[in-house]
Amino acid sequence: MNSTLFASSQVYRARRRLAPWLFNGAMIVICFFVLIPVLVTILTSLKDQTDVQRNPPVLFPCDTSDGQFNLSACRWSVEGYTRILEPRPNPNALLGFEYIGRMISVYLPNTLIYAVSGSVLVTVLAGMAGYVFSRYRFRGRRALMLAILAITGIPLLTNLIALYRMGVALRQAFPGYEERLYVIVVYVGFFLPFSIWVVKSFFDTIPRELEEASFIDGCTPVSSLIRIVAPLAAPGLTSAFLMSFVGIWNEFIAGYLLVGKATLRTAMFGLYDFIGQFVIGYQVLAAGCIMVAAPVVIIFLFFRKTFFRAMVEGALKG
Amino acid sequence: MATPAGTASGHTSVSSYSHRRHHIQQGFFSRTLPFWLLLPALLVIVVIQVIPALFSFFLSTQTFERGDQIYVGLRNFERVFSSSAFSLSLFHTLFFLIGYVALTLIAGFVIAQILNRKLRLSPFYITVIFVPWVLSDVVVGLIFRLFIVPDYGLFSAFFADPRIFPPKGISILTTPAAPALIAGVPFPPAPALIYLIFASAWKALPFITLLILAALQTVSHELIESAAIDGADRWRTVRYITFPLILPTLIVALFNLTLTGVNGVGMVFSLTGGGPGTATEVLSYLLYTIGFGRLDFGRAAALSVFMAIINLTLILLTLRISRSEKEA
Repeated sequence: MNSTLFASSQVYRARRRLAPWLFNGAMIVICFFVLIPVLVTILTSLKDQTDVQRNPPVLFPCDTSDGQFNLSACRWSVEGYTRILEPRPNPNALLGFEYIGRMISVYLPNTLIYAVSGSVLVTVLAGMAGYVFSRYRFRGRRALMLAILAITGIPLLTNLIALYRMGVALRQAFPGYEERLYVIVVYVGFFLPFSIWVVKSFFDTIPRELEEASFIDGCTPVSSLIRIVAPLAAPGLTSAFLMSFVGIWNEFIAGYLLVGKATLRTAMFGLYDFIGQFVIGYQVLAAGCIMVAAPVVIIFLFFRKTFFRAMVEGALKG
Repeated sequence: MATPAGTASGHTSVSSYSHRRHHIQQGFFSRTLPFWLLLPALLVIVVIQVIPALFSFFLSTQTFERGDQIYVGLRNFERVFSSSAFSLSLFHTLFFLIGYVALTLIAGFVIAQILNRKLRLSPFYITVIFVPWVLSDVVVGLIFRLFIVPDYGLFSAFFADPRIFPPKGISILTTPAAPALIAGVPFPPAPALIYLIFASAWKALPFITLLILAALQTVSHELIESAAIDGADRWRTVRYITFPLILPTLIVALFNLTLTGVNGVGMVFSLTGGGPGTATEVLSYLLYTIGFGRLDFGRAAALSVFMAIINLTLILLTLRISRSEKEA
């Protein structure tokens, strides 16, 4: 009896010591499988045209003519990137080159403009509205908040049919119609409801006593909002900004349908356009993916905790 | 007009009562501050979301003939619902959703269970797993397309192998669906649709894992340990303790997946373009082809109203569940 108990506790202890290794091993395998598509895309983007058109395909362009793997025989190439960037020597430009590829000279700058100005507006508006929903009690408050939440349930495409026709009507009605502005306002409208909820839940965690103390010290509600509450709510506002930034950056269908002028197209449209343009230039397509995705991946890696918190808050409160 | 000296002395004499002054002499602007703070946000939401939604609703009752707009009542709905393209894409969407939701939820649950053991490297693992989430639909579709381009894709040889996929091997981008077992129901689905499920699940997995992990962390350790002391094995602990406790979150995750699955269209664009044939034409892609391919806005609006109703139902159900969870 005693010995079996002892034996089982020994097994138990051995298991406990073994378990972390098992789970770490499992997670490493899972992480590897999750990252395979990304790693393969990076490798593909660094091959030249002959190596992406090999049958059977090779993962590393490092085989010699007699089929041996040899690191010194690697034919890494940045052809995919140069075909997108299209550098031209220009003595006046920085570094002596100017890049005339549409992705770098048109699409990415446009997307940057849309994403930055759109998410700044979302953050400001969501900050104001979230503050009211968190601090003031008024008739219809709960109904209004639920209505804002329900609006996120309207599919993008439902709105886009109407927004497309509204855009056409606006263009005809106003000769000086600014398409860029219209697209930004549309993006703000898309990402505002979710952000209001995220920001509101962050405001809820700031104690009201701080504001009341600031009123006693002579702050008006506006200056209290700007000087006391906004700095404390900075994490919430940052997450609203980042979520909207990534959302607008990655948005495809609205930019594709609403932007008419070629000079105002977005990066996602450019990438989609590449599929038809570089039919067998797989290394170009892979390089395009990397160039378009790298900025948001880097932003994510820097601010990952803010993203995680905003996502859990947004999904569970909402 | 007050002299500078007057204002200075006035200021010092009033400042100690400043909190009272606020309540007594609030100006019109201060009293209506909440309204002004809300106004811009509400205005944008109304203009970009509410009015277009109502406008789409209105468009669904109109038809356009030679530039004239004619009221046709529910004719657009009849025509959409009776078309074979609609029923096919409804089945495609259904098959896609079943596979996508099941695959993502199961994989997410398993990974969250492992991560919940508080391994020292858990934050690192979560970060790595999360990379796909930050990629756009178009990028994910394109990445997965590069795997299976005919002849040169890394997986193409695997799929083209007749020993694994009899009788002749398959090419995801060109092999159509096998003949339907039941007339009118596109089952079994085309390889491309199944591949689309995997690509979509890859992108959705991080978020669902994080959601389930957050829920698992609220399950108290004492509860699990006392179950173990009472002799419950691991499976029973999960089945009778963990599972019921995180069920509300699982349902939120399920609805979230359904919503993104019904509405997502970017991946179809860059991965398959709806093809081969119409094998991956899901409802949202059909909506795009009717509305912007054929410029039949009336029928596209009718279809979009149908999809909006599905979505709103799901959102309201999610609200119901998360609210009952809060009360519990």
